[in-house]
Amino acid sequence: MTAAAEHGTGQPLAAEAGRRAEVRARWLLSAPALLVIVCGAVGPLAVMGVYSFLAPGPYGDVVWRFSTDAWVSVLLERDIFDGTLSLADAHLSIFWRSTWLALATTVLALLLGFPTAYFIATRPARTRDLWLLLVTIPFWTNLLIRTFAVLQIIRNEGVVNSLLLATGLVERPVQILFTDAAILTGMVYVYLPLMVLPLYASLERLDFRMVEAGYDLYARPRDVLLCVILPLAKPGIVAGSILVFIPALGAYVTPTILGGGKNMMLGNLIELQFGQGRNWPLGASLAISLMALVTAALLVYVRSTGGREAAHG
Amino acid sequence: MAHGSSLRAIDGPLPAATRPTAIEIAGVSKTFGAGAGAFRALADVSVSVRSNEFFTLLGPSGCGKTTLLRLIAGFEAPSAGRIRLDGDDITAKPPFERPVNTVFQSYALFPHLTVAENIGFGLRMLRRPKAEVAATVVEMLRLVRMEALADRRISQISGGQQQRVALARALAPRPKVLLLDEPLSALDLKLRKEMQTELKRLQHETGITFLFVTHDQEEALAMSDRIAVMAEGRILQVGTPREIYHAPTDRFVADFIGEANMLPAVVLDRGTGGAEVRLAGGRTIAAALARPMARDSEAVVMIRPEHARLVAHGDERAVLSGRIEDIVYVGSDTHHHVILDDGSRFVVREQNRGGPAPLRAPGEPVGIALDPGAARVLPR
Repeated sequence: MTAAAEHGTGQPLAAEAGRRAEVRARWLLSAPALLVIVCGAVGPLAVMGVYSFLAPGPYGDVVWRFSTDAWVSVLLERDIFDGTLSLADAHLSIFWRSTWLALATTVLALLLGFPTAYFIATRPARTRDLWLLLVTIPFWTNLLIRTFAVLQIIRNEGVVNSLLLATGLVERPVQILFTDAAILTGMVYVYLPLMVLPLYASLERLDFRMVEAGYDLYARPRDVLLCVILPLAKPGIVAGSILVFIPALGAYVTPTILGGGKNMMLGNLIELQFGQGRNWPLGASLAISLMALVTAALLVYVRSTGGREAAHG
Repeated sequence: MAHGSSLRAIDGPLPAATRPTAIEIAGVSKTFGAGAGAFRALADVSVSVRSNEFFTLLGPSGCGKTTLLRLIAGFEAPSAGRIRLDGDDITAKPPFERPVNTVFQSYALFPHLTVAENIGFGLRMLRRPKAEVAATVVEMLRLVRMEALADRRISQISGGQQQRVALARALAPRPKVLLLDEPLSALDLKLRKEMQTELKRLQHETGITFLFVTHDQEEALAMSDRIAVMAEGRILQVGTPREIYHAPTDRFVADFIGEANMLPAVVLDRGTGGAEVRLAGGRTIAAALARPMARDSEAVVMIRPEHARLVAHGDERAVLSGRIEDIVYVGSDTHHHVILDDGSRFVVREQNRGGPAPLRAPGEPVGIALDPGAARVLPR
């Protein structure tokens, strides 16, 4: 320490110049990344944050006047006659519906995705790529078109109902479209690849000698799955669940088309405020609330599942 | 080397030959794949492992020894033949119903569990009471001297410690047979020597039958009660380390275990267990017959380097003669590489005793005398 200090005082100018050049080089090198983060993430978020504390303009846009009305009306609504505040049931039910639909989507995607990923991971190396290709093919098609395809299948005159009627299992078409079940079906279909791919990545790395060791130590197939394969595949399960849950919570296209506008989710509510509702501040505060919800959910999830592994490296 | 195994035979619970059979392999074959690409890993293998025995499958890589172990563990099903454990046919049983545990070459310890949880895994899967599992884990930790590291994760302990955990995990459910698939190959030399002693101690203390797979002949000789030497999917010879080393019945066995001089010869006259053979150089010597061979059949004579002595050129005791090509001093021994008169090579290993040793130099003509019973005739 003292030696370094003496050295520093001995040549103060040269050392200072060198340090400055180094600092400048660091800033220059990290500039592209900083630019992307500022323009792509921090900037828009800041705009949303500012807008959420302004008053709505009459035809959309905002009036530059500080107001907390938007934040108040995220959870509370003002009675139009006496001005008293009460809980905004409409908003709360949408928050609740979005959360449970996103959770159900995640669980269903996991239940369907795990066997799929396991199947692919246990194929011979040559055919694995083909199966992976099949999983990713839906990504090549526009989300809107895929969602309309689901609509064609589940509508009253669609494939499912035609089959049910033809086999005589039902007498009248079952109303699937425009229900939560329709939204769930559509979301599971759309987000399934996001679950399969990370699961595959961790199952592919799974050392199958561990599975043999499990069988050798008297674990029956069910025990091997629960006590060996699932714990070892946990990084993939965590990653897949996060990748599915986040977009599912903010889903917009699927609930719009399959939910029929009546069964709104958070994404639709936010869109409504920026569109017909002409209440940009409320839209902005709802969007930030959605982010907060996602962050909270992630924190709870990662703490409860990955904590031990994460601490362990 | 032989000392350890003879000691073992004396203080074992029963004389080796009268112990009951633990594992019986009867006519087992295993073919991987089908059609033109089929690979025959095991060809009609039959062998019996006795109870409480340290039995080693020894052979070069690809000889089928690991396949045989996997068949016994139940990871693969044989293409033909039966496998019996204590008389019960277990050929069709899945691995989790066989009272047999494996120490894997890679250890295959569970990274998501602690040392203690790994050791208790088998008993937990057997749904044993918690108290019993805990007690056995403590006992096993003590047995492999890992008490202090019970709560560590697998990635936090060294390779040698992982080896001990793998052993404890496989021993904890008290299997009838412990299968060890080259468990020492990942350890450095010093640790390997320690673990050899450790394994012998564990086998002694637990009284469990050990079936050990290795390609290291020295390891096999040092540790085993009996050894089965394998090559190309077959068992060539089964015997005690002493039998395998001194009385190989097969040229491959003689070559694979230790060093051996091989001289081409023709069988002349046969007596009981012995024969006169004519060496390529024209000399006729007496040699033991490893197996019955017809008169005039082509053979090789095997002579271990330490069973030959250098004598003066022209000495009447000399059976062979040649010229010293090279002298290699290795501390305890000196290896003399001799080119025989017919051009073939012969190694004589002499122990370096105290006192003055005869000085020899490369190029010097010498004779080679053989110890009684040193020469052994094997099929060519």
